[in-house]
Amino acid sequence: MLAAVRAPETLVDVFQALTSDPDAVLVAGGTIAVPDLTLGTGRRTTAVALSRLHAGLDAIAVDGDVVTLGAMTRLSALERDRRLAVLAPVLAAIGSPTLRNSATVGGNFFVAGPYGDLAVALVALGATCTIVGPDGEAIRPAEAVAADGLARGSVLAAVSFRLPAPGSFRFRKAARRRLNSASIATVAAVVVEANGVVESARIALGGVAPRPCRAPSAEAALVGRPLDTASAEAAGVAARADAAPFTDAYASAWYRDRVLPVHVRRALLGA
Amino acid sequence: MKQSPTKPSVVSLEVNGSPAHVMVAPGATLLAALRDGLGLNGTRKGCESGTCGACTVHLDGEATMACLCLVETLDDARVDTIEGLATSPEALHPIQEAFLEKFATQCGFCTAGMIMAAAALLAREPNPSREDVIVAISGNVCRCTGYEAIIEAILHAAAVMRRAGVSRAA
Repeated sequence: MLAAVRAPETLVDVFQALTSDPDAVLVAGGTIAVPDLTLGTGRRTTAVALSRLHAGLDAIAVDGDVVTLGAMTRLSALERDRRLAVLAPVLAAIGSPTLRNSATVGGNFFVAGPYGDLAVALVALGATCTIVGPDGEAIRPAEAVAADGLARGSVLAAVSFRLPAPGSFRFRKAARRRLNSASIATVAAVVVEANGVVESARIALGGVAPRPCRAPSAEAALVGRPLDTASAEAAGVAARADAAPFTDAYASAWYRDRVLPVHVRRALLGA
Repeated sequence: MKQSPTKPSVVSLEVNGSPAHVMVAPGATLLAALRDGLGLNGTRKGCESGTCGACTVHLDGEATMACLCLVETLDDARVDTIEGLATSPEALHPIQEAFLEKFATQCGFCTAGMIMAAAALLAREPNPSREDVIVAISGNVCRCTGYEAIIEAILHAAAVMRRAGVSRAA
């Protein structure tokens, strides 16, 4: 249960709050953390809210083709920025417009599966994370942060990625309902073709493992081949080795494993 | 921001256009502050976990689920609730009128949240498509109506508001 709320105005105060209370919980948009804290029956906890930081962690910057998103940027702000049109299908698949007014980029990174569809897209886009802590700033690949999380006392400040070449980004989310429904399987991919064959592929999966993950087996099945039904189906089947599906209220592990190849193929080919 | 873990604190908000100072327990949500602190029960407590939309209000002009907000972080925020929509007891908001005309409310539990979500849509998009309306209320669960009457009501309200807007400008 929630015993106290702190809303620090500087990052130094955030680090201090986290290290002085080992049970303190970071709250960004609160879409997952606040219900957990208010409805939970666990030990008394302090919430450390990031929403009053003066550090300006909610900025969107586009410099040439490099996009930098502050970790506290609301998903609805991304949706309204025409420069980020490539992310439109990703954002439309996350919750509802009302939820997206609260949800943040950073929160989507650390939420437990099957949530975290923006993180899946950012991993496919080869994003990097700027992490700040008491010892300074560090840059790590989004893929590593998605897999391993952050050391306690560190805070994700921003995520950067290069806008993909037009037509190279694919995104597909399979869910129980058309809108506002958690992932059964999410597939994000950046596929670059040259001379009629796939030159490079970054494929990321969500909903089929505890954390958003790369799909190296699926990527290997594509590179050097033309992107067609045969190669897309091979990639889909290969993707099963990259997944570690779990059972939850939305789908069983068996079902996720069974349909993943279909959704990988559909993401790659659009059908 | 230091505070004793057991004492309530006072949060200052602007609610439906007027200043409101509400005493809240540590960790209280905006939903609890509105209902228990200010007696504004129009905003419903459904799932308390951000999945049903019954608690939808406008926070600084944006549709927001009040159950997801830690009110102690909202000092000086502007909150608009269902109670603030009608200009007087006799003059309902066009969206409220439309919900009555189109039989878009049965038990009424989802209605406040639906109307606030609709109001946010129409403020941004006065001429929404049917799909725009469906997306706008995709976070609001209704167990009674099957949603069609609600969608019709919102489209009807949009048309009424557009006509009223045109006549004001003339």
